[in-house]
Amino acid sequence: MADHALTAASPLAGYARTIGDVLLTEVGDYNLCSVAAPLGEDEALVDSFDVPRPATGQSSISTDGATRLLGLQPDQILILFRADDPDRAADQVAAAMKTAAYVTDQSDSWVLLALEGADVCPVLERLCMLDLDDAAFPAGAVSRTVMEHLSVIILRERDNRFLLFNPRSSARSFLHAVETAAETVLLQSNEPVSVRHRRGTS
Amino acid sequence: MTGLERLPGGLVDRNRCIAFTFDGHPYLGFPGDTLASALLANGVRMVGRSFKYHRPRGVFSAGSEEPNALVQLRRGAYREPNTRATVAELFDGLDATSQNYCGSLRFDLLAVNDLLASFLGAGFYYKTFMWPQALWERLYEPVIRASAGPGRLSGDTDPDVYDRGYLHCDLLVIGSGPAGLAAALVAGRSGARTILVDEDFVMGGRLHAETHEIDGQPGGAWAGSVVAELGALENVRLLSRTTVIGAYDHGIYGAVERKTDHLPDSKGKPRQILWRVHSRRAILCAGAIERPIAFGANDRPGVMLAGAVRTYANRYAVAPGKRVGVFTNNDDGWRTAVDLAAKGVEIAAVIDTREMAPPVDVTSVEVRMGGRITTTWGRKGLKAITLATGEKIAMDCLAVSGGWNPAVHLTCHQRGRPIWRDDIAAFVPGTGLPVGMAVAGSVNGSLSCGAALREGHDAASAIMQDLGIGLAKDALPAASDESVAVMPFWRVTESRGRAWVDLQNDVTVKDIQQAHHEGYRSVELLKRYTTLGMATDQGKTANVVALAILAEHGGRSIGDIGTTIFRPPYTPVSIAVFAGRSRGKAFRPTRLTPSHVWAEGRGGTFVEASGWLRARWYPVSGETHWRQSVDREVRLTRSGVGICDVSTLGKIDIQGEDSGTFLNKVYANGFAKLPVGRVRYGLMLREDGFVYDDGTTARLGKTHFVMTTTTANDGLVFRNLEFARQCLWPGLDVHLASATEQWAQFSVAGPRSRDLLAKIVDPPFDLANDAFPLMACGTVTVCGGAPGRLFRISFSGELGYEIAVPSRYGVSFMAALMTAGEDFDAVPYGVEALGVMRLEKGHVAGNELNGQSTAKMLNLERMISRKKDCIGNVLSQRPAMNRQDGLAMMGFRPLDRSVELTAGAHFLAMDAEDRMAADEGYMTSVAHSPELGYSIGLGFIMRGPERVGETVRAWDAVNGKDIPVEIVPPHFVDPQGNRLRG
Repeated sequence: MADHALTAASPLAGYARTIGDVLLTEVGDYNLCSVAAPLGEDEALVDSFDVPRPATGQSSISTDGATRLLGLQPDQILILFRADDPDRAADQVAAAMKTAAYVTDQSDSWVLLALEGADVCPVLERLCMLDLDDAAFPAGAVSRTVMEHLSVIILRERDNRFLLFNPRSSARSFLHAVETAAETVLLQSNEPVSVRHRRGTS
Repeated sequence: MTGLERLPGGLVDRNRCIAFTFDGHPYLGFPGDTLASALLANGVRMVGRSFKYHRPRGVFSAGSEEPNALVQLRRGAYREPNTRATVAELFDGLDATSQNYCGSLRFDLLAVNDLLASFLGAGFYYKTFMWPQALWERLYEPVIRASAGPGRLSGDTDPDVYDRGYLHCDLLVIGSGPAGLAAALVAGRSGARTILVDEDFVMGGRLHAETHEIDGQPGGAWAGSVVAELGALENVRLLSRTTVIGAYDHGIYGAVERKTDHLPDSKGKPRQILWRVHSRRAILCAGAIERPIAFGANDRPGVMLAGAVRTYANRYAVAPGKRVGVFTNNDDGWRTAVDLAAKGVEIAAVIDTREMAPPVDVTSVEVRMGGRITTTWGRKGLKAITLATGEKIAMDCLAVSGGWNPAVHLTCHQRGRPIWRDDIAAFVPGTGLPVGMAVAGSVNGSLSCGAALREGHDAASAIMQDLGIGLAKDALPAASDESVAVMPFWRVTESRGRAWVDLQNDVTVKDIQQAHHEGYRSVELLKRYTTLGMATDQGKTANVVALAILAEHGGRSIGDIGTTIFRPPYTPVSIAVFAGRSRGKAFRPTRLTPSHVWAEGRGGTFVEASGWLRARWYPVSGETHWRQSVDREVRLTRSGVGICDVSTLGKIDIQGEDSGTFLNKVYANGFAKLPVGRVRYGLMLREDGFVYDDGTTARLGKTHFVMTTTTANDGLVFRNLEFARQCLWPGLDVHLASATEQWAQFSVAGPRSRDLLAKIVDPPFDLANDAFPLMACGTVTVCGGAPGRLFRISFSGELGYEIAVPSRYGVSFMAALMTAGEDFDAVPYGVEALGVMRLEKGHVAGNELNGQSTAKMLNLERMISRKKDCIGNVLSQRPAMNRQDGLAMMGFRPLDRSVELTAGAHFLAMDAEDRMAADEGYMTSVAHSPELGYSIGLGFIMRGPERVGETVRAWDAVNGKDIPVEIVPPHFVDPQGNRLRG
């Protein structure tokens, strides 16, 4: 079957662009799995990782920085990591669990767009209805929300760096919205609308 | 007059001139001017024509309450009608035109309406245009709309861009007058996250319009220093040129910020931003709006609100007249005479309706206590007034004050009802304020500067304590409590001519009296009958005067009558700002299938379906009509193999020990006993028993199912399942994850599909019919190790499979399938061919699952298991939903095989009349069947199964078709299902 070997494609083709002082990049080379504990065995999730179990709305990171757990609901966590074999990411997580758990690979469900820079919050102010003030949404905070009619997970990795997990099929539309917001907030004048629409079809 | 000769003082910048035009005439103004102040400075008194009578009108107020000075700004597609000149900030090159006239502003042909006034009273539309009814749409309405109608839109697409955003704060302060500034100062110094909003371009509210002193300095200077301090605080955000338009649930306020309305060019930046402000608390410091007194011919250019006259003199250094009179029923009105006299403007007289000693000693000014103006003179601008005593006094500007109405609008947005206060003769906020809102200052009926400062300071202090924010030590700014005593006086009864109450809608005292005479007692009905309080100003100056007149005629008090309440928006809002960035292609997100890039490269034609762009068909060279492409795709699929991206179908990963039990409860048919490695078709009911979705669910493992939903219902089904899991049966061990985006799924259908997949699915997986029969499923690897899921299911009726790989392989996998299919003439097919094949097979789709269909209508009633309960089970048993003579899905074919059927046609008996009463059902889907060579259809018809072979008419009035059709079973192709089991 080697004559039909498959190649992976990223939905934004490795997009990276600096607008004002904000760097927008498509984050590739990661895996994302959801892990749900069987009913009543929620505590079992705690022991299985070299990472403290985050409360809902928070994330925790392993000492080597390679694995981050995202707490998004009471009985489920998302694991952001780099799998040894991307085609077997869910197996790797299941094997790491000390007890049985329900693992679903979501690596291809989401596109990760990173926004980084001193002015990132004023840009997100045009997109995200959550309060991203340092006190309300500090580094490590994570939440599901809605942006541009889309279900989005927002993670504050560091003070000036956010990851926006957005659905793969609409990634280009979402990127267009983020670019527009960044250009609006950070540039002296926006490009004509017609030009903006044509770009971003890579 | 050049517009540059001004009074001393003011907030205009005399170092620079601004050139602008009004009705094509060039004028000059200063930075800091509004269009209204600049026009007044240039001696332009007449700026528009009134709505109904086309009477000359001038600037009346100095704020967003302006009823008269409505103008059009800018040209071409940028033109904006109905803009209030009183809030339009002057900029270089501003091009303003007047509106609502026929001919020119000075010689308006429609001014003839004024002569016909006696025929155009309240409700004249309703009385006059009764008959004949047919003329209403063709004649009356076009003529009325052409003659009475404010400005005109360009009809072009709005070339500006708009934006939206979200803000959060501990305290939102609405209005930056003395109360708002005092409140913001307390909150800001305490470290609270504070947003201060004002609709004006200069913060300070009436402090710039008055001559108050605060802490020993002029009020305007104090405001400037406070704004500077607040601007330097990181925890405070100042939003000028921003109007809070509505108070919504949970402390959320809508605010429109005008970013570039004061600039000649937006430079591609958003013109306006709609902010959604999430506040923990809010203080409304919206101030008060002065109201007029009704007297004869009180609408001439030059008759203005007294507070506005002060504003023009004190803030803009403009004298609205050379000889100014004052007509008041309160002490505040006297301030106009004092301030203007201090600036050297001649005061013609102060006429006070109250019988008492003058409250202010204004030397060398004529005073008429107990005076009443009965009429005014001057065709295109005020020249003189006449008192009830017969005395005539010359003046070119009359400053009128009937007292002040608190701007209670935002307090009503959640149905709060204002209450009447006799001492100030005005409505103040009552109970039912939006949660978290406090009011302070004039809006609360505390009309003096000192009281406003005190209330703002105290309200913010209380909120800080309530929120647990440490209060900074803060002294209350010192100011005097000037006298605001008022004696209610609404209209001059001696006036015999028309006395205007609502200038914008041309509603007079007589109109209100007539409405009352005709039985309109309710203020709500009065408003609708007379048009009082409608249009851009929403009666900001008119409402209370009208209520008083209604009360007087009914012998009731104003408090008893009550007031209409207000809804958002506070001032007119451009529709475009609500759309924000969501315009054109960005109106909503576009979803692309995992193989989209491949389909683009193949020249596919796309159609939008539930937000997805799906390939519709793939034309090849020589094909000139879509039917050629679709027919070819169907034929080649049915003879060989076809491939279609079906990733848009919803996919839901269901895991847990109780998943089977859960599925039993959400599907009408049973799933708990579905063996591992098998797929089953499932029917989902709404609570009311109607069918709402269908799809297949596969059991991949003991505790692992994958459900598919229709494309359109993906989100809805997932949401409903989450609700069922969390709220209905929290005791079940079930976990859901959406897998729609995760997997690229392809239908591989046709007699050669197994041969094709044998080249794709890695050995040793056995695809033979015995090992992997119809409705089998399994986890496989493909193309040398990539993970995959294989389902033997068929929508087309052919031997068929669906195969899924992770989405990142979507493009590559589509190409691999096509390469592997070269030996079998594999063809990619789009959703049109998919639709044709499902119709030929008699499978239902969205047209049949239309929310009104029952399982029985779909001939699927036996799928509803009565051995178990499920959502919708009980209500699906209602007799009316199971009538033997009810609608049932059947197939239809035209007797004349050359005729094309149309969906939406209604079925009528051959000899029936074309009437709804004769309706027997309707056609849901039609297609040309390449297999049969003629047009076929599916539809619902009464007693369908008993009527096979019968002929009825497919009657389609919309398309003018009346086609005899034969009722046939819904399965046109391979009814025994031999192909798909092969």
